[in-house]
Amino acid sequence: MDKVLRDRRAIAIFILPALLVFSSVVILPIAFSGYYSLLEWNGAGKSTFIGLSNYLEMFTNPSTYFVKGIVNSALLAGLSVFVQIPLALGLALLISHGIRLEGFFRNVYFIPVIISTTVIGQLWMKIYHPNNGMLNILLTDLGLAALKRNWLADPSISLGAAFFVLIWQYIGYHMLLMYSAIKAIPTSLYEAAEIDGCSKSQLSRHIAIPLIMPMIKVCVTFALIGSLKTFDLIYVLTKGGPIHATEVPTTLMFANIFLNYRYGMGSAMAIFILVECLVLTVFVQRFFKVENYEF
Amino acid sequence: MKRFSKIVALLTVVAMTLTMLGGVALAQEKKTLNVWHLWTTESDANAKSFNIVLKEWQALHPDVDVVIDATENEAYKTKLKTAMAANEVPDVFFAWGGGFAKPFVEAGQVLALDDYLADGTMDRLLGGALDNVTYGGKTYGLTFIQWVGTLYCNKEMFDANGVSIPTTNDELLAAVAAFKAKGIVPITVGAKDGWPAMFFQNVYAVRTAGAQLSNEALSGASSFNAPEFVASAKYLDDLVKAGGFDPGALALTYDEAKMPFLAGQVPMIYQGSWLAGEIQDPTLSQVVDKVVAVNWPSLSDGKGDPNEILGGAIDSLMVSNNASDKELAADFVKYITENMSRESFKLGAGIATWKIDMAGIEVSQLVQNIIDFASKSTGAVLAWDTFLSCEAAERHKSLVQEIFAGQLSPENFALEMSKLQ
Repeated sequence: MDKVLRDRRAIAIFILPALLVFSSVVILPIAFSGYYSLLEWNGAGKSTFIGLSNYLEMFTNPSTYFVKGIVNSALLAGLSVFVQIPLALGLALLISHGIRLEGFFRNVYFIPVIISTTVIGQLWMKIYHPNNGMLNILLTDLGLAALKRNWLADPSISLGAAFFVLIWQYIGYHMLLMYSAIKAIPTSLYEAAEIDGCSKSQLSRHIAIPLIMPMIKVCVTFALIGSLKTFDLIYVLTKGGPIHATEVPTTLMFANIFLNYRYGMGSAMAIFILVECLVLTVFVQRFFKVENYEF
Repeated sequence: MKRFSKIVALLTVVAMTLTMLGGVALAQEKKTLNVWHLWTTESDANAKSFNIVLKEWQALHPDVDVVIDATENEAYKTKLKTAMAANEVPDVFFAWGGGFAKPFVEAGQVLALDDYLADGTMDRLLGGALDNVTYGGKTYGLTFIQWVGTLYCNKEMFDANGVSIPTTNDELLAAVAAFKAKGIVPITVGAKDGWPAMFFQNVYAVRTAGAQLSNEALSGASSFNAPEFVASAKYLDDLVKAGGFDPGALALTYDEAKMPFLAGQVPMIYQGSWLAGEIQDPTLSQVVDKVVAVNWPSLSDGKGDPNEILGGAIDSLMVSNNASDKELAADFVKYITENMSRESFKLGAGIATWKIDMAGIEVSQLVQNIIDFASKSTGAVLAWDTFLSCEAAERHKSLVQEIFAGQLSPENFALEMSKLQ
């Protein structure tokens, strides 16, 4: 084995197939998008090279709604990191401490993750339906008719309504990741702490959370990136509407390419999203220093 | 056992080789024609008529293998545009004329059909049938049906609530008030999709400005920032403020919005003539034979003739410039559109764009209503989103949605529209 690893030619030959596939499906399309982003192109006809004008326009022309989209996605990222992850952590701690029906709760929380996002979007469209939606009917039956809203039709609340579903959907995902990390902590550590007189909350605070920090970091990275490139649920639920209230960078990218025939502009947005995600990942890796423990 | 599996393996190889040879032999005899369209809903009148006509054509051309690829409306647009960008356009494809197909034509992806129409085909088409598929004096597609913007009224609900079918805008507002007072949503609209909402402003513009001025403004010859177009937005704004629509309309798609009408819960919907087929389909609708169709109500101060309509011939079939057998593809398009014109008309999808033999064609009362007021029409305006270029169309729909949300004044609507010209 060592001999093979020292042979550079062997290494080159063995990584070549994977490298080729990776380049052709990931690197090349990105490079093409980068090139397209410098063009004014309708997707079918001739293209004109316009340099960085697309990038300039998407930040300076308010009718592209791109700045609004970035603000919305940043808001979602904030909600994911500061609301979704703490909630998921809380649930993970709760169900990992040997409560009754542990497996049942774990599965229930995980169900939204395994359902296709399109199905979830359709489901919540029905729940939010202004006239015969479950939410409004429930509010009426509870005598809270004053709280009834046109959840996805009112531009002032539709963003909140859409983000609620996004946060809800992936809580189970982060919970499961952290739950499995907690379960990997040897019980001997807990037992030792208990002998020293730790309460349940102290066990969580001083044993579980510090030891699963690496996993929390993974979750934060996933939540950040996931928020910045969220598309499917918003597209199904609101298509970025009503009147652009729920636009995120990806819905705008889609609209520019396929509705406005602006391949160049759409590609510029795609490149921006890519760079944004890369920068934030590096940022999280750099400033979220954690120690890895070997058990 | 080992010998047995050897024999099986040998036989399989022989069988596969033979089928391969067979396939090659057949492929040499049969031509293939790739066709893309968007009639995925079987109940859709155009889907039904396309399938009837396709069978007829296939019976006439047993040597041609027609490969159909149907994709749902919105996804179809995406798919076709992607194919255009990738230079993988099928031989024959459905496309809207006007602003939708313009970039494809300009990119040289679409075959000009003029050479194939000189055999007398032109004489069998009605006037105006090719207006929206003609670019730079050349014909790039053939239409089969002219759609007509139609106000469908559930007569049973109108009678039960003592309301009369509106012929003027004042009567429409009175009907809205009467239904609203009884807790009934007066008009259903799928404003989330944009285009159904857009129809209302477009048809008000037909009334306030008239077909001629509307078409001039759309083609850029006159400005949208004119009192007539301000008025069109004002009338819509008034209708929204009067509670004409479901307050949650901006969250509803077209498919969701037509359901309460088909279920007999909402008395009015303004849609294209294509909806008539679904209204008369007992498996989908509980309002069969209960609906009357009228033109959009008239205005007392409108410049447009009250007989003018929103609509036009824009649905078409086109041939790719890279089609393997252009003659065959053009022949296919000619045959299908001419015969679909008749079949779709029978099913109530709209008014035929070809001179068809009307003898023996019986249509429902609802379709007859549409034919009656459409044949009186003195001018027509296409839905604006099909006429405008794609980017302007998207912006236009978004502006109308802002009127529905009560966030855009009529003056600003006209001003913003003029910026798109």
